[in-house]
Amino acid sequence: MVEIELIQSILVYGAISGGMYALLALGFTLIYGVSDVINLAHGSLFMIGTYIFFVLATPYGGIQIGLLPALILAAIFVAVIGAVTFRLTVHPVIGDPLSIMVVTISFAMIIQESMVLGFGSYRQPVPSLAEGLATIWGVKVTYSKILAFVASLALFAILMTFVTKTKIGRAMRAVSQDREVAMLMGINTEMLYLLTMGISASLAAVAGMLITSSTAGVTYPHIWPQQLYLSFAVVILGGLGSIKGSLVGAFIISYVENTFVFAIDPIIADILNLPVGGSLSGAVIMATMLLVILVRPKGLFGKRVELEE
Amino acid sequence: MVTGYFRRAYSSFVAHVLDIPPRLLALLLFLLLLSFPIVNPPSSTLLILTTASLLAIFAASWDLLVGRTGQISLGHALFFGIGTYATGLLSYHLNWPIWVTIPLSVLVGFLAAVLIGFPCLRVKGHYLALVTMAFPIILIGLILYFKNITRGDAGIWGLPKFFPFLPYKQQFIAEYYFTLLLLFASGIILYKIANSKTGMVMVSILDDELASKACGVNITKYKLMAFAISGIFASLAGSVNAHLLQVANLASLRVTLSFMVIVWTIFGGLGTIYGPIVGVYILQVLDQYVLTKIVDVPTPWRIIIYSAIVIVFVLKWPRGLARFVTDKQEDLEEARDIDERGPRIWRTYKKKEKK
Repeated sequence: MVEIELIQSILVYGAISGGMYALLALGFTLIYGVSDVINLAHGSLFMIGTYIFFVLATPYGGIQIGLLPALILAAIFVAVIGAVTFRLTVHPVIGDPLSIMVVTISFAMIIQESMVLGFGSYRQPVPSLAEGLATIWGVKVTYSKILAFVASLALFAILMTFVTKTKIGRAMRAVSQDREVAMLMGINTEMLYLLTMGISASLAAVAGMLITSSTAGVTYPHIWPQQLYLSFAVVILGGLGSIKGSLVGAFIISYVENTFVFAIDPIIADILNLPVGGSLSGAVIMATMLLVILVRPKGLFGKRVELEE
Repeated sequence: MVTGYFRRAYSSFVAHVLDIPPRLLALLLFLLLLSFPIVNPPSSTLLILTTASLLAIFAASWDLLVGRTGQISLGHALFFGIGTYATGLLSYHLNWPIWVTIPLSVLVGFLAAVLIGFPCLRVKGHYLALVTMAFPIILIGLILYFKNITRGDAGIWGLPKFFPFLPYKQQFIAEYYFTLLLLFASGIILYKIANSKTGMVMVSILDDELASKACGVNITKYKLMAFAISGIFASLAGSVNAHLLQVANLASLRVTLSFMVIVWTIFGGLGTIYGPIVGVYILQVLDQYVLTKIVDVPTPWRIIIYSAIVIVFVLKWPRGLARFVTDKQEDLEEARDIDERGPRIWRTYKKKEKK
């Protein structure tokens, strides 16, 4: 009986965190697909979102405007920050991957230290979206987690429709397939970059608010590298620039992580006579990603272009 | 009239000072650093420069990998950390002396680089960059997991010092010279490799992998070679750094180290080897000395100012400091072909050589 409960909790928790990881990676893969930019500040945009949510939705700032307005305002604000910094710093060096890395990492450091200046380097509470526990398939899950999962999948579906059905979405896919030809067809790539960066940043912020409020419930300035690495792993696994890939990659990663944490880690710890700890879960995620990359060097759904030009 | 005088003074400054190849400027910096302890600086200032020398070796090793073969590594702190932990574990568990642990940890770094180079041959470009960052995370996870061997978060303290027989103050000076000579030696070796036939073949891989494959270049061999050389020097820097600070902990694998090496190299000039070395010195002195000791701003502001300076610099001169100087020099030589006035020290020297 214990075994069945274990499998149930792996399935339920894996699905929930998979949905949230997909949302986190979606922004990263979107801006890469359209403009070939590896945005190392993606984790920082995640962090700003959580901090704005913390200020607007808790008594801290003195302006408590409710959870949903706070969430939407934070997403819009982060989108503006992302687009403006993209225009000012990344756009002049676009096409040069190393300069983009330097600029985005410096920007991430600036954000991290601004948050240390503004709020201190200790942990701040992020309000939970909903109170209470529900039982799904014999596993107890907080309402907050279910809400985050549903919201993630809904946002994912909306974005999928946006990219495949609308004119702007089609322009995005055109640019990601062939930039020069898209430009010749009259697509304003500069505006498209800004728009995509805005969407990507707000997705990072929303993912940040959903993930932090439904899991640990805290945020701190040094939270970003972990989230950045997680989105790296998901995106690489699914294939850079592929939206479908990021969904599949997120679920693979989250199931591997949950299987390891629930089932394998205790067994290894028992054999090696070590205390059970989550310290290996990051390593397991990365090892999974490496294994997939060894078999398929462009990820599961990546563009398979062998000969350039 | 006054402006004319200034203009002439400026042009003569440009012709006299900037008309030196950047290689000589780097050599001049080395001589300056060599004579630095004469002014009797405090030990903390010396330590900043000592660490900068080791980070410069690290940055130069990254530059050989990325600037020559174009294999972007976002997890280069792995080799630094491997050097640190190899030397730390050997001296903590086996009590081996310093002159055994450092060569052995360099060997471990070499083996790790070859081992990691193999899977990295399969991936290219952005995929490679994002795949390499996985390795330090895996190593951090393993170190934290096997606490009983690696001492986990706490780190291994009390590694032997380089010159325990010297008095306290002299130790800093001796270590300063030791790392400076180490930097000079590894800088020259890396520069020679980068500009040898091997280095040129590596550049051909960076320019067009398919074309160089078609010309019969063994790409696997050269890519692995770049990884191995890079791993050797990065783990050397890591192991010396561990003995210098007498500690091997997770700070040697930190995220910022992997990212900062990109900042230093791009700031200095990618693919030049001496550029990153100069870049590390300038940025480390700016960060640790100017913004800490002279201006004394609080830490968050220090990092904000530092990052803002880096962003502005990279946007203005994306080719880096060394390339900026070489470009200036080429402009000057071009201008001199048209206008033959002004001093021609460098030129006459070249002409004499030809005879």
